Amino acid sequence: MSDLDQVALRDVLAARGISRRQFVKFCSLMTATLALPPRYVHAVVKALDKSTKPVLVWLEFQDCAGNSESMLRSGHPSVGDFVLDLLSWEYHELIMAGSGHHAEAALDRVVNECKGEYICVVEGAIPMQDGGVYCTIGGKTALDIATRVCSNAAINIAVGACALDGGLVRSSPNPTGALGLSEAVPGVPNLINLGGCPHNPVNTAAVLVHYLTFHELPELDEYRRPLFAYGNLIHDQCERRAHYDAGRFVEEWGDEGARKGWCLYKMGCKGPEANYNCPSVQWNGSTSWPVKAGHGCIACASPRFWDTKSPFYDRLPKVPGFGVDVKAEEIGWIGTAAVGGAMIAQVVGNIIRDNIKPKDTDDHSHPPVN
Amino acid sequence: MFRTIHTAAAPDLPWKATTKDQVRVYVWEWPIRFSHWVMVITIVSLSITGYYMHAPYVSARGHEAYVMGWMRFVHILSAFALMLGMLVRLVWFFIGNKWANWNQFIPTSKKRLKGFVAVGKYYGFMAWKPVSYIGHNPVAGFAYLVIYAMVITEILTGFALFSFVVGSPTLTFLIGWLPRLINIQYLREIHFFIMFGFWMFFIHHIYTAILVSIEEQSGLMDSIFSGFKYVPEDHLAHDLAETEGSEEAAREAAALSASSHKPAA
Repeated sequence: MSDLDQVALRDVLAARGISRRQFVKFCSLMTATLALPPRYVHAVVKALDKSTKPVLVWLEFQDCAGNSESMLRSGHPSVGDFVLDLLSWEYHELIMAGSGHHAEAALDRVVNECKGEYICVVEGAIPMQDGGVYCTIGGKTALDIATRVCSNAAINIAVGACALDGGLVRSSPNPTGALGLSEAVPGVPNLINLGGCPHNPVNTAAVLVHYLTFHELPELDEYRRPLFAYGNLIHDQCERRAHYDAGRFVEEWGDEGARKGWCLYKMGCKGPEANYNCPSVQWNGSTSWPVKAGHGCIACASPRFWDTKSPFYDRLPKVPGFGVDVKAEEIGWIGTAAVGGAMIAQVVGNIIRDNIKPKDTDDHSHPPVN
Repeated sequence: MFRTIHTAAAPDLPWKATTKDQVRVYVWEWPIRFSHWVMVITIVSLSITGYYMHAPYVSARGHEAYVMGWMRFVHILSAFALMLGMLVRLVWFFIGNKWANWNQFIPTSKKRLKGFVAVGKYYGFMAWKPVSYIGHNPVAGFAYLVIYAMVITEILTGFALFSFVVGSPTLTFLIGWLPRLINIQYLREIHFFIMFGFWMFFIHHIYTAILVSIEEQSGLMDSIFSGFKYVPEDHLAHDLAETEGSEEAAREAAALSASSHKPAA
């Protein structure tokens, strides 16, 4: 153990200007986010105080560093401030001082010396096409790095839409053959997916705190996302839900409804089809979230959301094979009108047929064939 | 008596065939009529509420408005009623009379296929007279098969969307495979698009029902209320011959049925 590890967490936090009170508040936030009863706050505080700073590496592949930014700039004191002190961050390209061979050596050391003990966070998609040449770091492909580092980690946390399933990088036409971590490196140990564009740092911190406190992962859903964050429909937690049930909708941007904060359903809000705790955890120190700010949800935490949830300002996707701007509704109305027209033509045809029918036609309709 | 009423009720219009000697046949049993009307009522209410849920066309007034809430309530209630109707119809495919049997809907036999072409010719103005069937003609039967498939698709996609809202583990267990197969947004699109299919069918269905009612004078329109159709005696004999196997047995059966269906004068 290095000297740094001996220093009590409260002293480290105090040195950063974070009071004990703020630390306990952070523990309360984590407990609430994990949907644990308040009596667990004590357990969390105790566990974090005794934490021996496990090693963490943060890998970035095809990404915009948005998840790192979200983690580090979420408020003051930011969630990142706590997490940086709870864990020993050995490798994170965005914030690390070392570069080049020194940086690579740090990563190698973690993989070799802390095998099966460190926490690995992955941000960004992994390109598979053409041998993975579209993302290389230090001459190694993203796939090689992910396979080596993730396979030897105690737990793997995929943060953001790109690490979850390829995100924006994988959206059609996906020129680099990008995939999320779970598909690119099947069978990585203890994977936990934290989708979202970006991930919500509070959820990520909560997962880390859960691991540090209970030494296991929280309960996961079928996409290996924690249920505390992805177990509820956004629509059911939305503060504008009452306007939806009442039938008060924003009809266009800037209208009366928009000013009064009515439901954004007609503006294409995907809240009714998205699972996330965005409305309760919110962003920037729980100041706001998209719907509160007057914009519909785009279901950024849903799998393949760029392809499946667009257009973001319409309720339904475009109909495949009908040009760029054709809606199901238009096809439906035209089809219905066409059938109506055909039936009118049939009526006219039948009147003509009955009138020009030769007299000697059997008055009796044909006997049945069956 | 019924025969008299029926022939009397047939108006003497120049474009109509004269009503022939007809017998009253119980074609549509009550479960068929029940499921038919349940489907009619629920598809209407599901369309009105469902279209609102897609694009809210009523603006709410006042502080106690609950428009979307009511629309969704009626929609979900109607959906369960529709499912009940469809369930009854599915059961009657197998235990109903010969005109309700599943084989009336899939033209598998050579005879039904030939009939399919013959009916098609009439609707394509290549024949003077319609081909009469006591039950569904092969084209109609096939159209109803498509409609039942549409109803089942609506039920499945609807349940998938409903499971998303309810979040019940049982429901998710039963229908959760569907959203994994097709993205929830496309399920929503299919669910919405099929509604127009029902509208197209509705227009066409009303038209053919009126047309055949007029052309065949078989009381087709009344039959979906009462269950009885008025069929020329020789048609019934022919139909029974199909079932019994021999013409002779059929003639006897026809005579029997004709006398039993015709109330004493």
